[in-house]
Amino acid sequence: MRKVLPLILIVICLGASFVTLDFLPEIGDPSSKPNTHTTDYYIEHATTETNAANMVTAVIVDYRAFDTMYETTVMFIAGVAVVLILASHPERKNRIRFRKVRKKESRDGKPVYRTINKEVVIPLIEPMIMLYAIYVLFHGEISLGGGFQAGALLGMTYILDVMVIPERDSLIRLPKDKSTALGGIGTFIYVLTGILCMAGGGVFLEYEKLPIPMHALEKHSTGMLLVEVGVAICVMATIITILNGIMERVHFDDDTD
Amino acid sequence: MMTQIETILAGKGIYFLTLLLLTLGLYGIIVSRNYMKKLICMNIMQVAVIFFFLCFAQKNSGTIPVAMKHIVHAVEYINPLPHGLMLTAIVVSLGTTGVGLALLTRIKEKYGSIEEKDIIEGEKQFR
Amino acid sequence: MKNLPAYIVLLPLCSALLSLALSKIHKHLGRDVVFGALVGSLVLSVVQLVRVIQNGPIHYIFGGYKIPYGIEFSVDTINAVIVIMVCMLGVLSCMFAFNFDKNGDALQVGGAYTMHALLVLGMVGMTMTGDVFNLYVFLEITSLTAYCLIAMGGSRGIVSAFRYLLVGTVAATFYLLGVGILYSVTGTLNMSDMAACLKQGNNDSAMLMAMMFLISAFGIKMALFPFHGWQPSAYTHAHTGARPLIAGAMGKIPAYAMFRYLYCIYGKDFKYFRYVLLIIGVISVCGMIYGSVRAMAQKDIRKVLAYSSVAQIGYISLGFAIGSPLALAGAFLHMLGHAFMKGGLFFAAGAISWKYGTFDLNDFGRIYKRMPFTAGLLTVGALSMIGIPPTVGFFSKWYLACGAAQTHEYVYIFVLVLSSLLNAVYFFKVIEKVFVQADKNRKPLHPEGKGVTEAPITIMIPVVTCILMILLLGVFNVKVIDILLISLKGVAL
Repeated sequence: MRKVLPLILIVICLGASFVTLDFLPEIGDPSSKPNTHTTDYYIEHATTETNAANMVTAVIVDYRAFDTMYETTVMFIAGVAVVLILASHPERKNRIRFRKVRKKESRDGKPVYRTINKEVVIPLIEPMIMLYAIYVLFHGEISLGGGFQAGALLGMTYILDVMVIPERDSLIRLPKDKSTALGGIGTFIYVLTGILCMAGGGVFLEYEKLPIPMHALEKHSTGMLLVEVGVAICVMATIITILNGIMERVHFDDDTD
Repeated sequence: MMTQIETILAGKGIYFLTLLLLTLGLYGIIVSRNYMKKLICMNIMQVAVIFFFLCFAQKNSGTIPVAMKHIVHAVEYINPLPHGLMLTAIVVSLGTTGVGLALLTRIKEKYGSIEEKDIIEGEKQFR
Repeated sequence: MKNLPAYIVLLPLCSALLSLALSKIHKHLGRDVVFGALVGSLVLSVVQLVRVIQNGPIHYIFGGYKIPYGIEFSVDTINAVIVIMVCMLGVLSCMFAFNFDKNGDALQVGGAYTMHALLVLGMVGMTMTGDVFNLYVFLEITSLTAYCLIAMGGSRGIVSAFRYLLVGTVAATFYLLGVGILYSVTGTLNMSDMAACLKQGNNDSAMLMAMMFLISAFGIKMALFPFHGWQPSAYTHAHTGARPLIAGAMGKIPAYAMFRYLYCIYGKDFKYFRYVLLIIGVISVCGMIYGSVRAMAQKDIRKVLAYSSVAQIGYISLGFAIGSPLALAGAFLHMLGHAFMKGGLFFAAGAISWKYGTFDLNDFGRIYKRMPFTAGLLTVGALSMIGIPPTVGFFSKWYLACGAAQTHEYVYIFVLVLSSLLNAVYFFKVIEKVFVQADKNRKPLHPEGKGVTEAPITIMIPVVTCILMILLLGVFNVKVIDILLISLKGVAL
């Protein structure tokens, strides 16, 4: 019963939607409403108004920068939420167990990550990833890329570092209290860019009013860059935060079956 | 008749597929009794909506929305707006999945299981 | 002051972002900054309401672009009032939460207040925004922080939070799907532009399908009757410090968003408008009866209040379903009033549990002897829920009934009276437990002397403020209705 009833409902919904699908625009139709009404403005004015050749970047960090600010905040919330949820673990006696857990067999040989050649990863691959991250960050408004990707790459470097040499302290250590604070500060850089625009007499996130002596279009580029730096820091910190949250559990979660 | 169906499928069949994906996810959330499976089905739903939005962005013979000197008409670039919006939706779904997985970790620790009937049984022990 | 709407959302955001960094300096520094920022938001939102009444609606566009291209905040008298309500509950419940953060390290304390500020921010943003996709982002901020705050409530909190996460994500997905359908026929995301575009073309079937998705999305988020499954356990097991905010304000904001879609974007020109209103009316009527009946059977005061929320949300959507100006004004008055009633009752219940660590109604026997002030305020809140005249609960129901009589929907009046009677049954049960039932041997959690011992001042201020707001809204109801009607005149049926 539990499986049949939803199935019937869903089949009915699908049939109904198939009948009524005719109002949706045909795929690839260049004259459909979503492809003409506001989009033409974005495509035609993105380069001249915002000085960004990449129109997706122009839309997300200039026309709709306010959305992206909260998107970054969502990222920050996710990191903090993971840490807060995983902050308390119940004591062994307070847990409920329904099934007997099989004893773990002792592992033979080395774990896989120990077989990675440290001499190659640390001096060669990690700098390359960081370099690429910085390229993606600074080149975001001209070609493909942006703060999110750069932040993910930077966070990945840290993960790689922790994975390859778990027993050694890395050069920069970010325990969870520091990494959550860093995520907040990254997003705050974004907010601060908008506040600077207000200090220059504009509305929030109006890059043309940034109080720096530059040409109007260059101000747009500078504003976007500042914003993307903030995004990158927040995403990096969030990834590291989630890693920290999980790493605490690795030693603790010994009763999985 | 056949040609009519063919034109509908060519033009709008993609929406049907995304809706199928969406309903599959919904069905999975309702039916499956393992919380991890429910979380996966939730993810499938989110992906379906992302596809749905990206369908609007497509233009025949359009190129990626990076301005180039020799392409000037708006018709020749695909629509950048849904791509930007879906970037937000992807980040949101990532955040939701992360929080969901953290919750599952806690549930597994506390209740010893992520099966629905075990959790309902275990819930009776707490006030 | 042209950036006024931006300041209201930026203050909580900045404080939340910096709270964790500041908590590293001193454990409670982040919390104090959050509290200060929320107070600042409250003051600014009052200023905003005054300006809106004087100068008409505010349209604030971020980035300084023209209207369909940038993101817009549009503030009229209705959402200015709701923003004040949200900020006020945020400040009060932040103050209330001071008492529940004693154990926990700096990260946990700072993180909890970060979540608190971001929850307020999400709700304020959802209320003020004029862009459908921006509303989705704020919706997600609200939900993610709510999942976290519910999960911090302990062993059952995590399961409730996970169930809410699944259902809430389905709601967000449905919302996005509805927005996608509307975007596919209009090509815009701005609410006023979308309303104009929808009026031009013949989009009735698309609008109907989008509306079905939107109603189920907002229905899930506001816990309307058939979609309320997540709500009682989430309200019951949420973190004690955040429960009044979650229960008081979180359900109201999606209701306002639904109003925005129904009356500001779709409008009465929509062909199937009457049918949509009828559907909403039917489910709210069912919810009003169902929630009240279920609430009667509960023994835990949190569950009683949670199920009564299912019923009370039905009153709000009933007002939307009737649709005449007076009924809509009544619905909004009920939205404000119910936020303070439910907040006040949860604050009072929290005061009792702060002292005795219990929410069980059977442990409340003659609690008025030890906490007379709290018991009195609890009674006023309960009387307002039933709808006794000087309180706001009576007047909001009165306006709803007047609106229903205007449009000759007499069934709705009958259900209103019936639901109020059922309310009376279970709230008199609560009052009876507090005043009449035999004394119990309660063990206080905190050392106390003989005779009257109330909870600390930071718990009592929120309770008193909420009850005062109930009485003030009741006494000055004509004034509030006048303010609401300024914006409702143009959109109501």
